[in-house]
Amino acid sequence: MSNKNIYRPQSKFLYSSYLYIIPAFVFYILFVLFPLGDTLYTSFTEWNGISEKKWVGLDQYIKNLSDKKITSSIKHSFILIIFYSFLPIIIGLLIAGLMIRVKIRGMTTYRAILFLPQILSMIVVGISWRWIYAPKGPLNSGLDFFGLEDVSRAWLGSFDYSLMAVGLIGTWVMFGFTMILFIAGVQKIPIELYDAAKVDGAGAISEFFNVTLPNLRGEIIVALIFTVTLALRNFDLIYITTGGGPGTSTMIPSMFIYKKAFQMGQVGSASSLGIMLTLMIFTLVSLILITFRERK
Amino acid sequence: MKKIVFLLSSLIFFSAGINAETLRILAEAGDEGTLTRAITQFEAANPGVTVEASYLGWDDFMATIKLKMADNNPPDLAHGNQGFTVDGTLIQNGLVISLEKYANQYGWKDLFAEGALSEFMWSEDGSIWGSGSLYGINPVAEDVIVFYNKSKLNALGLSVPNSFEDFENALAVSKDAGELPIILGGADGWPIIHVWGIIDGAFVDPNHTRGWIFDPKNFEFNTSSRMDAAKKLDDMAADGYFGTDSLGIGYDDANAMFINGEGVFNLTGTWMTAQLDEGMGENVGAFAMPTSGGHSVGGGGSFALPWHISSKASNPDLAAKFLAHLMSNDFVDDLMEVGRVPAQAPTISPTSNLQAEVIASSNALVGANAKTFYTDWATPGMYDVVTQELQKLIGGATSAEEFISAMAAESLN
Repeated sequence: MSNKNIYRPQSKFLYSSYLYIIPAFVFYILFVLFPLGDTLYTSFTEWNGISEKKWVGLDQYIKNLSDKKITSSIKHSFILIIFYSFLPIIIGLLIAGLMIRVKIRGMTTYRAILFLPQILSMIVVGISWRWIYAPKGPLNSGLDFFGLEDVSRAWLGSFDYSLMAVGLIGTWVMFGFTMILFIAGVQKIPIELYDAAKVDGAGAISEFFNVTLPNLRGEIIVALIFTVTLALRNFDLIYITTGGGPGTSTMIPSMFIYKKAFQMGQVGSASSLGIMLTLMIFTLVSLILITFRERK
Repeated sequence: MKKIVFLLSSLIFFSAGINAETLRILAEAGDEGTLTRAITQFEAANPGVTVEASYLGWDDFMATIKLKMADNNPPDLAHGNQGFTVDGTLIQNGLVISLEKYANQYGWKDLFAEGALSEFMWSEDGSIWGSGSLYGINPVAEDVIVFYNKSKLNALGLSVPNSFEDFENALAVSKDAGELPIILGGADGWPIIHVWGIIDGAFVDPNHTRGWIFDPKNFEFNTSSRMDAAKKLDDMAADGYFGTDSLGIGYDDANAMFINGEGVFNLTGTWMTAQLDEGMGENVGAFAMPTSGGHSVGGGGSFALPWHISSKASNPDLAAKFLAHLMSNDFVDDLMEVGRVPAQAPTISPTSNLQAEVIASSNALVGANAKTFYTDWATPGMYDVVTQELQKLIGGATSAEEFISAMAAESLN
């Protein structure tokens, strides 16, 4: 049978196709690659933002790595991953799993309400939660009402609880996103799989682990990458709620970048920390992709 | 073609005309009320001159001022900030000019005691601070003093303390009576610098503190009197004199709470005068903190943010003329009326009881040569270190010894 009617890509490469990507590529060079390159160069210099840059090689990196405040801020970032990433994914999966079993009236409305934190500006979120966590705010009033005066405290001003308090705001913001992602994912799982599971006598839990979870692999990867990245590069929430305090108990690398670049005039040092943060995010995202890649 | 040439030439003509008579100012937002008044007066007194002022809130202002001054088209007149981080960088890079010529022309140095303007003085290369040429000026004093709730103090049977020990006694009495002794917005960090400035001022020789701020590498931070101050602050926090929640309360909230009757004392700056006056009226008073032993007074304090003239200003004489208006004797009373504390003696009587007490406190600090600036001026990294370490000290997460050694270590940076 002749197959002359089937479209075949032309063997000769069409260089004119590059023309189509030029506009986007120019923007990418101007606003991504060039600033990145400039930051990389600046990270090897000492610069106050105005005068001549002075080449210092790897000095800034060595100083950053030997600064205990910076290394502890990196630890804080990893703790925040639990709150910004793991918890929202677990909550999102639970809700998605429930949705399959339980039919709730007006689900669309609930979904919209649960998703709401995701579309609010972080500034609004931060200011609202500052009020919720305030010494005489709603959270403590609620605790006091139930006779838990010993538990209530200035959450954001506590050396022991402030990081957790800020982290939970992140959980609240992010779980709407993971939920929507997983609900959409669940809807594309063929209903036959669930029927088959039921025929095999699978209960709700077994169904979740054997059907829902494996079929959401792609969505979980997306959620992990998105939330882990946010946890590491997060700035606005901490800036608004605690400013890194009390002491340095909620300090994260991005706060240091801001402080060094804009308060202390140490742009070289800020740049090197920025590059370190970028590398860290890049490494983690690669690890996620390698760990969860589809095995053939 | 002719039309285009005409249009272009008229554009050039008019824009040149505007430039010659326009003074562009960039200011920190706290100065808006003062400047609005000054600009109206200045424009009326100088026909043809237009003053364009723009304002930025503190954080945005401090984050961008150096870049704005380094721009090819910077404002003619702008605030800086005392210390190496802003002023030092501006001078080192030749972005602002020395005001010596204008200071002599308008007699600014004669307005104040010898050495009073040292916070505005720099060497020509910007490497030495505290002496040299005058690079900035401001007519407003911003001092850290003690505000108190009058009815509470009366109800507790207390009077304005005569020594720091008296003050401590007042704190203990307040605490025992179930009152919050000191309201503190410690969540923001920087308000604790003011508390520290007052306690430090009660124990440490102000000359030594000023010397340390100008030259922290060569003035020992860790002295026995400073250790006394740190231990005192530690004890005060441990005794619950700041309450249990101070690190969870922001500065604005703390002041709102004070206005609403929480806290006997409020250790903050004279910039709060107008707001506290409006909120509390006759129920608020102020005094300069007496030192340990009661021989003098002490506390942080300085002039407000320095005004700088850009080295690229098209008409620096006009900018200086505007500064001369701000510094003039006539404008002192205007400062009073907008609720600021003038650094020069006013000629009109205070507009309120609080303003009278605030000016008396400010005068007491000036008279005792006791203003010790602000701790965070000392090094570019000091703001972070001092706010973090003070939060730890107030929150019981560090000791007085660790606080002093962290501060001493940053002094060498």
